[in-house]
Amino acid sequence: MAAQLDDNRPVIMKVDNIGKKYRIKNLKTLPADAGKLKKLGYHLKKYQKNDFWALKNISFEIRQGDRLAIVGRNGAGKSTLLKLISRITEPTEGRIEYYGRVAAMLEVGTGFNPELTGRENVYLNGAILGMTKDMIDERFDGIVEFSEIGDFIDTPVKRYSSGMMVRLAFAVASTMDPDILIIDEVLSVGDMKFREKCLQRMNEIASSGKTILCVSHVMNIIRGLCNRAIVLEHGRMIYEGEIEQAIKLYNGIHEEARITSRDLENLPRPRFLNEKMRMLHVDVLENRNCIYNWDEPIRFLLRVETKLDAECVSLRVVFRCDNGTPAATAFLPLRADFKAGEIKDIYVSVDRHNLAPGDYKVGLELTQESPYDDYHKVDKVVPEAFFVTVRNIGAQEHVLEDDSSRLWIGSWGNSRIMDVTGEVRG
Amino acid sequence: MRKKKKTNVSNLKTVIEANGKNRQYWIDIWRYRGLAFNLAKRDITVRYKQTVIGLGWSIINPVLNMLIMTFIFGSVANLSSDGSAPYSVMVYAGIIPWTLFARNFTLSSAAFIKSAALMKKVYFPRIIAPLGESIAALIDAMISFMILLLIILISHFTSGFVPSWRIVLAPLLFLLPAVLGFFTGLFLSPANIRFRDLNQAIPFLISLGQYVTPVGYSFAEACQNVPENFRFVYEFNPVAGVINLIRWCIIPDNAFHWPSFISALVCIAIFVPVGIALFRKGERTFVDLV
Repeated sequence: MAAQLDDNRPVIMKVDNIGKKYRIKNLKTLPADAGKLKKLGYHLKKYQKNDFWALKNISFEIRQGDRLAIVGRNGAGKSTLLKLISRITEPTEGRIEYYGRVAAMLEVGTGFNPELTGRENVYLNGAILGMTKDMIDERFDGIVEFSEIGDFIDTPVKRYSSGMMVRLAFAVASTMDPDILIIDEVLSVGDMKFREKCLQRMNEIASSGKTILCVSHVMNIIRGLCNRAIVLEHGRMIYEGEIEQAIKLYNGIHEEARITSRDLENLPRPRFLNEKMRMLHVDVLENRNCIYNWDEPIRFLLRVETKLDAECVSLRVVFRCDNGTPAATAFLPLRADFKAGEIKDIYVSVDRHNLAPGDYKVGLELTQESPYDDYHKVDKVVPEAFFVTVRNIGAQEHVLEDDSSRLWIGSWGNSRIMDVTGEVRG
Repeated sequence: MRKKKKTNVSNLKTVIEANGKNRQYWIDIWRYRGLAFNLAKRDITVRYKQTVIGLGWSIINPVLNMLIMTFIFGSVANLSSDGSAPYSVMVYAGIIPWTLFARNFTLSSAAFIKSAALMKKVYFPRIIAPLGESIAALIDAMISFMILLLIILISHFTSGFVPSWRIVLAPLLFLLPAVLGFFTGLFLSPANIRFRDLNQAIPFLISLGQYVTPVGYSFAEACQNVPENFRFVYEFNPVAGVINLIRWCIIPDNAFHWPSFISALVCIAIFVPVGIALFRKGERTFVDLV
């Protein structure tokens, strides 16, 4: 949004109608009734070449200080685009212009030689990334400190643990001081503590007014790092502009299930189900985009087929975060009986779900209560049946039902931890 | 000073176009020269890591080679040396340019394959990679040259051999076999991406070449003994030309051989531009092919 306000910044990179074509070989099919001559010809030339456009008609501009995210699914052409910009391969058509030095943090540790010591590798790697000896000299201590390598700096890298190697490599790469920095999923390195540190370093670079191009599948990193985004799909650019909108679009492409109705019949199921019933179809009602406020009901119709008589069947609706962590569960105690051969619809309304803002996968699970008071899973859809997004906008503060005197802000999380004790001491 | 340099870089405009026109290429080579030296350094350090003798190996190798050739050609086959020079000096003076040629030829023809992993990840002018290795080869040649001086000194006391004053030209003239090997290899490098057969054929060609080229024997001897019909193999052999050139620098009564020397110059004049052109063409597409 800031980009539109402040448009007198100079254009630092201009990508103009870029396309990249690859040739792929396909095995030709030989007709069954082919004669000898044809067969011979087939063996000589088994393959036919097809053109495949990994990227086509990509145009955008980056102004100084822009932090552009490139989002898209695997195979959308993100990495190809970064390769073109960082001059690793050449475009088939179009033109890219930029001012200054571009440096890419594509794959951490590229060019590390296991025989060389950490120190030697820092200089070699720095040179590979386009730094001069003076530049590396100047930053050497900082690199060693950041990587937490310590005395091992004069040990051959082959004796390092993989974590040490990655830390050193990231430390070198992150001290580059280019005019345009390209980041491709490098933040998923090392342990959690080091990842935090990397992210912090990236944020520092981002807030220093550097121009950044970033590819990541982790939307929160993109939210934190970037101010603009483009969305790629099958090599075409389908959106350019605001981050949130781009993420929504990406989620739309990413999860084909961001639809309001979906067939569940053929989705993968976990094992250990008694399979007396099967969920066939889900229809999300009244909300075309599956975007909700905290107090908006999530309503859907679930069509189920009963294969064997089933008694006392209930439904569990599980909301999971992007990484699979369960965030909340809604239990619908139907305790309904179904007869074999029936196909019925179950209407579900989750009112005032109190979910914190974010994206959720919704999983569905049919359960059966047995006379002995335990649950049997009848049918279950993993990992998700559909997706919902809970908006940050509007009613951010809501009142917890069980404790109506207190405010609860959605972004504080999904559940409130109740048993908290403490006192002022001293 | 630093600051000023930096703003200059920021004003640098880069244009990437479909047909591979890249005006920055030659400027980039200059900017990345540090990388070439770093790669050369890596080449040398890695080669002798975890060896006991270390850099000594780059001395032992040619010296042993020289001793064997001196024994076979000089003592067993009893070929005559070049002018007043002891056989060992003559052979050693041939081994240095030959090794330079052969190593440069091998490394530049395999330039894309050897550094593919690196080139697929990071941009630098691709020619920097073989250039770095070539620098390493030149450094090795200089070390060998020191040994040659030592051998000459020893033979001065044992047989009274006095080298020509032209010996001061030798270190500079080592560039000729290096350039010749480098650019003929460069000429083959794009073909090496598609047809890995070349990778197998080149070591074989090199060892064959060592016998067709007067490395272990003198140029004059070869021209004398070879039948008239086959004499052209030597007379117009560019590598023979540069080897004889180096010997001419060291041996006072060496007969300078013009045809082979001119053939070397012609080859350089042809292969430098053609090699570069083919390499540039290859580097545009090789990432998608390797």
